Amino acid sequence: MAESYSEGRTGDGEYQEQFLNDKTLRRLGAAIAGLFTLGVGGFIAAIIFTQVDFELFVEIIHPQFVNAFLRVLAIILVGSLLSVTAGIFVGLGRVSNTGFTNAVATAYVEFFRGTPLLFQLLVIYVGIPAFWPPGEFPISNWQYPTAIIGLTLNHAAYVGEAVRGGIDAVPEGQMEAARSLGMSYVQGMREVVLPQAWRNALAAIGNDQVILVKDTSLLTVIAVPELISAFRNVNSTTFDPWTPIILVAIAYLMITVPLGKIVSYLEARSDWGGDRR
Amino acid sequence: MSLLEFDEVDKYFGETHVLKDVDLDVEEGEVCVIIGPSGSGKSTLLRCANRLEEIQDGEIRLEGQSISAADADINRLRQRIGMVFQSFNLFPHKTARENVTLAPTKVKGLKKGDAERRADELLDRVGLRAQSNSYPNQLSGGQQQRVAIARALAMDPHVMLFDEVTSALDPELVGEVLDVMHDLAEEGMTMLVVTHEMGFAREVGDRIVLMADGQVVEDSPPEVFFENPKTDRGKQFLSKLL
Repeated sequence: MAESYSEGRTGDGEYQEQFLNDKTLRRLGAAIAGLFTLGVGGFIAAIIFTQVDFELFVEIIHPQFVNAFLRVLAIILVGSLLSVTAGIFVGLGRVSNTGFTNAVATAYVEFFRGTPLLFQLLVIYVGIPAFWPPGEFPISNWQYPTAIIGLTLNHAAYVGEAVRGGIDAVPEGQMEAARSLGMSYVQGMREVVLPQAWRNALAAIGNDQVILVKDTSLLTVIAVPELISAFRNVNSTTFDPWTPIILVAIAYLMITVPLGKIVSYLEARSDWGGDRR
Repeated sequence: MSLLEFDEVDKYFGETHVLKDVDLDVEEGEVCVIIGPSGSGKSTLLRCANRLEEIQDGEIRLEGQSISAADADINRLRQRIGMVFQSFNLFPHKTARENVTLAPTKVKGLKKGDAERRADELLDRVGLRAQSNSYPNQLSGGQQQRVAIARALAMDPHVMLFDEVTSALDPELVGEVLDVMHDLAEEGMTMLVVTHEMGFAREVGDRIVLMADGQVVEDSPPEVFFENPKTDRGKQFLSKLL
C-alpha cells in the first residue's frame, strides 16, 4: 500500500512531471473546445458572408417558410400532446400485473419501436385508403391525419418506455403506503406513483419529444409542405443551397431549444424541496 | 371478540413457510409488542394484518370482519388499520400537511379545509406544527417518521401497526418517535408493534409476543417476559440481548 501512495513522487516528496496530469488535461480540453468553436464559427461566418443571398433570404421567409413553420408547429403541438397522453397509458400497460394487458402493451412497443416511422407513415398514408375503391376515400388531405396518427403511435411507444422506467424507479413502499391508507390501486397510481414517475421520466420524455420535432422532416415524403419541402422548393428553383439551409436550421432550433428549456423548467418545478433549503 | 384476530394463519413465500399456524388476538386498547430474531416472521405477520401480504391458510379478522377473505372490501377495512413503516414511505412530492390530508380527502371525501385543520392538529400532536409546509427531504428521519404517524392517524384507525419504525433512524432520533408512540398508547390506541427497542417494549407493552421460525413461542406480560420468561426460547432470546 505504501508504495502505491508514493507513486508519482520522487524520493524527496515532490510530484514528478507526468505526461498527462490534471492541469494539462484541463488545458488540453479548453484548447480543443476553443479550436472547435473557432472552426465552426469561422465556417458559419464564411457561409453567411459568401453563400447566403440576403435578398432571397428575406423573400422566402414569408410566406414559404413561415407557413411551413406554423404547419409543422401545429402538427408538433397536437402530436406531442397526444403521444405523451397515449404514452402514459402504454407505460401503465407495461407495468400492469394483468398478463394480457402487459402483453398487448409490450407488443405495441415492440412493433412501433421496431419499425421505422417512415414505414409507419406510408402504411397509414397509402395502406388505409386502399380499403376504399380508388378515388372514394372520404378524407381529403389525408396526409395531415396521417402525420398526427403516425407521430402519435410511434412516439407513444417511446414515451411509454420512459414512463415504465419512471414507474419502476418509484420505490414499492410508496404504493404500499398509499394502499395502507385505504387508497385504491388507481388512486395510489394517480396521486402517489405517477407524479413521481413523471419526474423520473421527464428527461427521457423531453428527449423523445425533441426527436418528434425532428421526425416531422419525414412528412416531406407524404406531401406535407413542411420545412424540408420548403427547402427543396427554393433549392430546385434558385439552385441556392445555403440560404434555405440556414432558414431550415433556424426554424428547427426555434422549436427544439425552447422545448429543452420547458423540460428543464418542469424538472426544476418538481424539485419538492430538494434544493430550496 | 377481540379487535384483531389471527386465526391459524399460514403464509408461504414460494417454498418457504414463513408463518406457521399463528394464533394471536389483540384486544382493544392493548399494546402488543412482537419481538424476535430477524427472519422470524414478525414483519410478515404485521403486513398480513392489512393484507399487504396474502395469507395461504387461516383467517385474519378486524372487529369480526375478515380481512383475508377473497371478497373482503380491503380498501374500506384498511381505513381502520393505520400502518407505519420502517422506511417512512412519506410521499416525497407532497408537503408534511399534504401527506396527512391526501387520504382523508381522496378516500373519505373530507373537505380540504377540514382535512387541513385536522392535519395541523395531528402535526401539532407529534410536535411538527412548524414543519407542516416542509417537504419530506427537508425533514430529519425522526421528523419524517412522526409525520408518517400523523398521516396514519388522520384516517382515525382503530388499530395501529408499527413495523420496526425506529430501525432506520440515527440513535439520537429514536427517542422522539418512541415518545409519540408512548403518548398514543396512553391515549388508549390499540397497537401492534414490531420492534427491537426492548426498553420501549418493557415500558409501553401490555404483552410481549416472542416469535421464532414463523411461530409464536411465548406470549407473556412484559414483567414476566423480561424477569422470568416462561419458555426456553424466551430465556435464550433474552440472554442474547445482554
